[in-house]
Amino acid sequence: MRFRSQWVAYPYFAVALLLFGLQMVFGLLSAVKYLGPDPLINLLPFNVTKAIHTNLLIVWVLTGFMGATYYVVPEESRTEIYSERLAYWQLGLWTTLGVVIVVGYVFGWTAGNKLLEQPFPLKLGIVVIMLMFLFNILMTIRKAGRWTTTEAVLVAGLGLAALLYLPALLQFHNYTVSIFYRWWTIHLWVEGVWMMIQGGLLAYLLIRLSGADREMMEKWLYVIVGLVFIAGILGTAHHYYWTGVPKYWLPIGGFFSMLEPLAIFVMAMAAYSAMRRSGFAHPNKLAIHWTIGSAVFTAFGAGLLGFAHTWPSVNKWTHGTLITAMHGHSAFFGAYVMINLAIITYTMPHFTGRANEAKESALGYWAFWLMIGGMFGMTLAYATAGIAQVYLERIMGVGYLDTQQKIQVHFLMLIGTGIIFTAGVAAFIWDFFRQAPLRAPPIDLATESSSTAPLTA
Amino acid sequence: MTKRHTRLFFIGGTLLFAVIFLVLTVDSHRQFGTLTNADRITPAVSEGKDVWHRKNCVNCHTLLGEGAYYAPDLTKITQQRGVPYLTAFLKNPSQFYSERVHRRLMPNPNLSDAEIAQVIAFLDWVSNIDNAGWPPRPILVSGSAFPSAEVQPTTAGAASNDPIALGEMVFRSTPPGCVACHSTIAGTTLAGPSLAGIASRAEGHIGHSDYRGTAIDAAGYIRESITTPSAHVVPGAMYSAGGRSFMPDNFRTTLTPKQIEQLVAYLLTLP
Repeated sequence: MRFRSQWVAYPYFAVALLLFGLQMVFGLLSAVKYLGPDPLINLLPFNVTKAIHTNLLIVWVLTGFMGATYYVVPEESRTEIYSERLAYWQLGLWTTLGVVIVVGYVFGWTAGNKLLEQPFPLKLGIVVIMLMFLFNILMTIRKAGRWTTTEAVLVAGLGLAALLYLPALLQFHNYTVSIFYRWWTIHLWVEGVWMMIQGGLLAYLLIRLSGADREMMEKWLYVIVGLVFIAGILGTAHHYYWTGVPKYWLPIGGFFSMLEPLAIFVMAMAAYSAMRRSGFAHPNKLAIHWTIGSAVFTAFGAGLLGFAHTWPSVNKWTHGTLITAMHGHSAFFGAYVMINLAIITYTMPHFTGRANEAKESALGYWAFWLMIGGMFGMTLAYATAGIAQVYLERIMGVGYLDTQQKIQVHFLMLIGTGIIFTAGVAAFIWDFFRQAPLRAPPIDLATESSSTAPLTA
Repeated sequence: MTKRHTRLFFIGGTLLFAVIFLVLTVDSHRQFGTLTNADRITPAVSEGKDVWHRKNCVNCHTLLGEGAYYAPDLTKITQQRGVPYLTAFLKNPSQFYSERVHRRLMPNPNLSDAEIAQVIAFLDWVSNIDNAGWPPRPILVSGSAFPSAEVQPTTAGAASNDPIALGEMVFRSTPPGCVACHSTIAGTTLAGPSLAGIASRAEGHIGHSDYRGTAIDAAGYIRESITTPSAHVVPGAMYSAGGRSFMPDNFRTTLTPKQIEQLVAYLLTLP
């Protein structure tokens, strides 16, 4: 850690991980409900636990992204953060808002729009906090007067994420039109600007971990994000197929969805070749695992499994089945969970003052492999359940409820592998919190907005 | 290829495809009205959409295939279940499905009569959206379109002039979608009663003192049940309310007299 204010990232990571743990509770609770009967049906029905599960994911992943940005930007721009106090306030407000959102669902305060269930006033709160964050980051860069491509891509990704949340504030009379714009937020987040964030963080980590040539890395970063948008913008169409839009969206969606994995495979290749050249020399091997793992698992979950069901003549049969849940879980884990855990693992020794420690905790490796194995198993469970569902329900014409009963064995597998995954999450969280961080350096008000001198190298 | 080139690739590519996307968006707006029958978005439909959101329905069900995959897809539900059925269902869902048998229940959404009518109006509007023919085959809530192995392939029926075979074709095609609610095997009860052995049961109904219809034989009873479902209702809270059958009562007009005779001929044969 070269700058004192980078320490701000630590509480962000801590909050993110706690919410990650809570997300698992609601995930397992939802999974058990697949088997039924549900004793909690009138207290916490599936539509509440599921909404909490997905909303916690969005909140904690964004918390991690913001923490990561507070860590990366000072280092790349070589300056202290514009206002540390603003960063702490922002975290406090963000966490409070996240808790209010989740608790609200339990009491039925919801907008009832998938993934955008946040009630309107809370949506406004999200926008305000995002603006606070972007203000702090942009002022930091402005103060420094210098920026790198890596941080520019990262910050642009976060800025565009805030911008693309705005369509979610609009209300539409026509359900089809509201679906159309819902995907501007959801699709262009996860298959657009969040990939920019992932790409930026990946480039940062690869430069740090492999000593990859910055010029080379950033050149590839542009290629990757270029491919992301060239394929991803029109790739939005694969969500439009069956919602009442003009028919030309079908071939467009099919073609550009086919291109979407390209950027992801280039990313995995860039990561692998960068690491191969350096010979895995960096002492933080665990961070290397998470970094390469993120690129590879993204290629599997987002690239391959996304491609598996986006072609219109395939999607016609798989649309609205557990096949989507298969892709959703593995894609989110590979791309956004793993990149967060990579940056947390990379920065952790800097917070605990054990910067040169080569010997990683065995627990950290357990966390890695339990999560990878658990998620792989969950993906297979959803895939087998989904394939059976498509065959029985869509091809054979067996009713929905009867089909769900015939595929119960896959739900047992889902719960089993979900428990393995959760054990990995628990190990990661324990590994993070058992090492007390160094004391946070006090905020030096006199130098807060003027100091650009590094603390230590 | 320098960094400047790749930056140009990124910015140029992104802008180009963003512009194409925006142009297509404008064109889609020109067509939304026709594709979605926007003129039929009455205040009731609009209110129904709000009920749908307020009750967080989408985090169990799917609509247009989007949702949470935990409960049945409702895109075409109003074409499979009549308004009286859906009304009674929404008043008390647990009356229709057994937690022991089906494992999953719908919690009571606690809707007022007005809200129920609105959400049904909304779902009915959704069912008429021109959505590229999805789903390609009807998605049933429960039961099965092909309940037993002895079902004849429908193509064999098409090649035949036999009224029974043609009747089975009608029974299995959508519309009218009889199979969405009626099974043909004994003991498998879907939304409506099983039609296994309907001929012999019909005789029993007619001979019973409770019978209020006008049929004098099994064929007449079946014909009457198709054209005027409420003439005589089979006991059971999931089949009727207040003496009114949940079965749609418009088959008299949507089916030709010939199709009805074919259906009767087929149903009389069910063991």
